[in-house]
Amino acid sequence: MKRKTRFAAAVLALLLSLGLLSACGSGGGGSDSGGSTGEGASSGSENSGSDAKDTITALLPPVSPKYQENFKQMEADFNKLYPNLTLKIEPASWEDITQKLDTQVNAGSPPDLAFIGSDGISKYAQMGMLLDIKDLATPEMIEDFDPAPLEYMKKGDGLYGFPAYMEVHALGGNKQFLEEAGIDWKKVQQEGWTYEEFREAIKKGVVKNGNETTRYGFVFATAGVASKDYLGILVKSAGMPSPFTEDLKYAYTNKNFLEVLKAIRQMIDDGSMPKELSSVDAGKRWNMFLTGQTMITGKGLAVFENSANQNNAKIEAGDGSAVKDSIKVDYIVLPVPSFAGQPAVAHAVVDGYVAFRGKKEPSEEHKANVVKAAYFLASGQVAATTNNDLFAAHITDSARKAAENMETNRNPDNVAAVENMLKTAAPARPDIPVELGAQAIKIENEVIIPKLQALLANEITPEEMYEAVKKAAIDTFGEDGVVKE
Amino acid sequence: MAQMASMIRRRLNRGDGAWAYAFIAVALTVFAVFTAYPVASAFIISFQQYSPMGSTFIGFDNYSDIFRSDLFWKAIRNTVVYTVLTVPVALVLSFAVAIMIMPLKKWMQTTFKAIYYLPAVASGVALSVVWLWIFDPLPNGILNQLIGWFGISNQNWLGSSSTSMFSLVLMSWLSSHGTSIIIYVAALLGIDDSYYEAAEIDGATFLQKMWHIVIPCLKPTTLFLLVTGVIGSFQVFQNAYLMTGGGPNHSTTMVGLLIFDTAFKYFEFGKAAAQSLILAFIIALISFFQFKFMGKDVEY
Repeated sequence: MKRKTRFAAAVLALLLSLGLLSACGSGGGGSDSGGSTGEGASSGSENSGSDAKDTITALLPPVSPKYQENFKQMEADFNKLYPNLTLKIEPASWEDITQKLDTQVNAGSPPDLAFIGSDGISKYAQMGMLLDIKDLATPEMIEDFDPAPLEYMKKGDGLYGFPAYMEVHALGGNKQFLEEAGIDWKKVQQEGWTYEEFREAIKKGVVKNGNETTRYGFVFATAGVASKDYLGILVKSAGMPSPFTEDLKYAYTNKNFLEVLKAIRQMIDDGSMPKELSSVDAGKRWNMFLTGQTMITGKGLAVFENSANQNNAKIEAGDGSAVKDSIKVDYIVLPVPSFAGQPAVAHAVVDGYVAFRGKKEPSEEHKANVVKAAYFLASGQVAATTNNDLFAAHITDSARKAAENMETNRNPDNVAAVENMLKTAAPARPDIPVELGAQAIKIENEVIIPKLQALLANEITPEEMYEAVKKAAIDTFGEDGVVKE
Repeated sequence: MAQMASMIRRRLNRGDGAWAYAFIAVALTVFAVFTAYPVASAFIISFQQYSPMGSTFIGFDNYSDIFRSDLFWKAIRNTVVYTVLTVPVALVLSFAVAIMIMPLKKWMQTTFKAIYYLPAVASGVALSVVWLWIFDPLPNGILNQLIGWFGISNQNWLGSSSTSMFSLVLMSWLSSHGTSIIIYVAALLGIDDSYYEAAEIDGATFLQKMWHIVIPCLKPTTLFLLVTGVIGSFQVFQNAYLMTGGGPNHSTTMVGLLIFDTAFKYFEFGKAAAQSLILAFIIALISFFQFKFMGKDVEY
């Protein structure tokens, strides 16, 4: 009896130990779970010849509303184009993609490709975890892209991926409310507006019922990290298109930065924006826009016109999945106002497929295959479908050609307005060294965002915030490293 | 004969010893892989500027940077405030609920225990979404409507430094006491009835029985819950991360969130490891003093 018990216990102990060991094993060699990336994928391809089998992994968020539905088709189409190659897509949500990617990068085993904003390139380039594809991309590939968005994927001399789209962060207006407030939105789309004009316009958009505001003139999502978008978009048109001037001095010590901060406070104090603005997140302000609680919202992306149109169709059809209490909205693209007599500069956003490498140097064949996959995703049919879904302009000749037969119901005035803004878009700054870029991001996270939240909540004055940013900038870059007032 | 029996016993014992090692080997391996190794790694990394492409040894630089950082001290202060406001209230609430459900019938007790334990089972993210609705800053927010009935204007609960910490504390007060309640109920059941009978013969009131019997008998349980509560509170991360992100103006940045930000926002894993070890040291120090001064007359 005792022997049987011992035997059973020994088997149990062995099973537990095996379970533990297998758990550790699968954690390290995640090649079967989509994590075969970087070192695993690279080393796996080292022995591969140019026609040898290889797997390229890609970590992709829901870039457009229907993007992730097309993953299987994208994988199949890539394999059809390159029979020896397999594209393995790991889906991620917008909420967790950064954390997933950062964890994989810091473990030294990132995916071969990840869809990220071009502003994230300096962070990973500083760690040496990006793959420079400058010499791997063929001239045909490079020529397919518009030059401006391609510049955003560069840092120093390196090219680290291909852009998917170039968008502008603009504002969005409710056509009916704008016209009721006497705002000539077509003129604004064509000629832009100053802060003073914008301030008066949003005052006119406010509707009150007694002491209660039933509609605001302007609501921008500022909760948490979204506040950095708000400030980032406004300062561009205040003579600071980049955190660094062309002679690489930190720009947010400029007096115009203070003028923007004062404007941020003024619009709340006027009652044109809610006093609770600091807690309004992206979902909330979009809900406020669709339910008629604000005349203008931000930030505005081209895809919002698509979302508004879809909700309008649901309202018309009596579909219960329309946003609760929403009204039909004609979405109008509006430019960001300019400040302190400075020219308007649109906040361009270039996101794309960035190439990573693991701890171990990938083979030349694998590098070339990664570039093929990046180009496949960023051009042609895939880009045409995605950008049409996003209402975003095409940035490759091949996508333009593929999109010729695709229909969209974009408002032509909005298309023209976006094109106008793209002409004034802030240029890419590949000349900013990655160390400076990383230091600016740290100031942004540790000082600018927390202080802006406090400013929005009326806990500090614009002057106090400006002084805090100036102090942090001088501490980081030195007196000579910042713009003098 | 006796010698032979002794020899057999020794041999059997020797066999048992080997088996014992085999059995604890499983737990020991789990501990070594998932606790000891990460702690040892964190200790080494805390003296390095970490990089996946190769770390460099920088001595005590990470530690000196941390002690010079205003944000670190602010995070410590926030964590202490959060702990002081949440742990004692959690103990009192759990104790009160346990006392209230004790006289109930068995099935009623079980029902209440299940209800109070439910938040521990529910996803923290889902709970945070519900709390975000409750703390909606606009006048039609749930909590704002509630205070509106008392003539108080709407508050920017999570967006203002004056209310953000209170909002997280309120969230803690109104959730996750299930484990403590179950432990208190179990401890209450362990008090011998003869104490109550003797007290009743002496004419003791309810409060006198509480003070002279229940509270002293529950002292080991209370000490355990206090120590684990303080440890948990010092490691708090999820609520601040999901509800406020540490803002506004770092008013809800606790040490756990600061460690996360240092590691995953700035990729300073060496500094984050150093912050973790400092936090572990602080927790160990507090636990030591709790045992030293409050555990003197506790018998287990």
